[in-house]
Amino acid sequence: MGDRMRRVREARTESAGDVGAELMQRVARGDEAAFEQLYDLLVGPVFGLVRRIVRDPAQSEEVVQEIMVELWRSAARYSPERGSAMTWAMTMAHRRAVDRVRSAQAAADRDDTVGRRDVGRPFDEVAEQVTTRLEQEQVRRCLRTLTELQRESVLLAYYGGRTYREVGELLDTPLGTIKTRLRDGLIRLRDCLGVA
Amino acid sequence: MPADIHALTGAYALDAVSDGERAEFERHLAECESCAQEVAELRDTATRLALAATEDPPPVLKSRVLAKIRTVRQLPPETTAVPLRHWDRRPLALRMTTMAAAVLLVVAAALGVLVVRQNQQLDDTRAQADEMSRILRAGDAQVLSLDEGDTGRMTVAMSRSLDRMLLLGDDLPDPPSGRDFQVWSGHDGKMVSAGFLNPSNGNAQLALRGIGDADQIAVTVEPDGGSEQPTTPPVMSVDLPTA
Repeated sequence: MGDRMRRVREARTESAGDVGAELMQRVARGDEAAFEQLYDLLVGPVFGLVRRIVRDPAQSEEVVQEIMVELWRSAARYSPERGSAMTWAMTMAHRRAVDRVRSAQAAADRDDTVGRRDVGRPFDEVAEQVTTRLEQEQVRRCLRTLTELQRESVLLAYYGGRTYREVGELLDTPLGTIKTRLRDGLIRLRDCLGVA
Repeated sequence: MPADIHALTGAYALDAVSDGERAEFERHLAECESCAQEVAELRDTATRLALAATEDPPPVLKSRVLAKIRTVRQLPPETTAVPLRHWDRRPLALRMTTMAAAVLLVVAAALGVLVVRQNQQLDDTRAQADEMSRILRAGDAQVLSLDEGDTGRMTVAMSRSLDRMLLLGDDLPDPPSGRDFQVWSGHDGKMVSAGFLNPSNGNAQLALRGIGDADQIAVTVEPDGGSEQPTTPPVMSVDLPTA
């Protein structure tokens, strides 16, 4: 891992929002060099997220490519008043990945029993990467402040791409409880991470 | 609206809802500022989960994406009233379906601003706003907009069933000295005078009734007081969609 990569990662964790917003505005004007920088900034989290949800490597790459091209296509639709470019991009990425697995699911119900087992160790696979360690440690520490039900619900929904109904079935818990736990869990995580 | 809809902010921020629930919650979001704020914060929080999951993709992906974007045209920025360069070619017909109703609310709000901004010129701003909402509430409301650059921008709201139309001009130039902007409705090639647009600070509006089977609206520059028939080529013209 070279210096350049490390700098990119630092930018990502420290002021990704601002950098992203400025890049996004240049990309909206058709600046391909700015898009390349935006790609470097976003592709790591996008790929990590999509891999966790989609899992199949070839399909994951396909979805990531779709997402990055969509960012290029719709950059002019981003406006800083709506929030950080990072969140805008990640919201779109998550939605795309989830759409992909849910339509595949509708076509042929997935027969593997993916679930708590698969997302139970969300960080292990990348734990050796220096680059995200800081972010990971903070997120992991904050996830520990959630109750077990809150944490499992949030991780199944976000990294697993599950609907709260599916989460309810997987965790054998009433839907109303799951809805509340997802919200409470995220709020606790938000306060711990110092978001907003 | 179910009493517990607010509890859905978490599930919504995580995309853990069905398409139907998403649509319903988004309708709620449009009216609930505190919900929107909470969703934004929870999405920022979820983004931190994505950052923590960062993984390097195969390097070849980058060259594939960079090659791909060279073949993809970018979308224009979003605007509230969907400005159409040539309304005659691409009329925007908005039917009062659930989706269009939301769009129309936005359009109505935008036009409401126009109407309010022109209140010095209006005898009765309220009457104008009422006219607009009356038209927009009709089941066959249609909204057209035209941007002609130097000649200004125009928005037309019309309803065939009510036989009413409201024209709103923005960024209009003043007519040449001793001339007026005369509005015409076209009926299968026959032009009938419909009134005048009198810009004040670039803004003008005209409410029309009895548009009947009009298939065109045109604006021409005529001598003060107007003409029986257009004597100059239109500075703006639009073909109206049929009912």
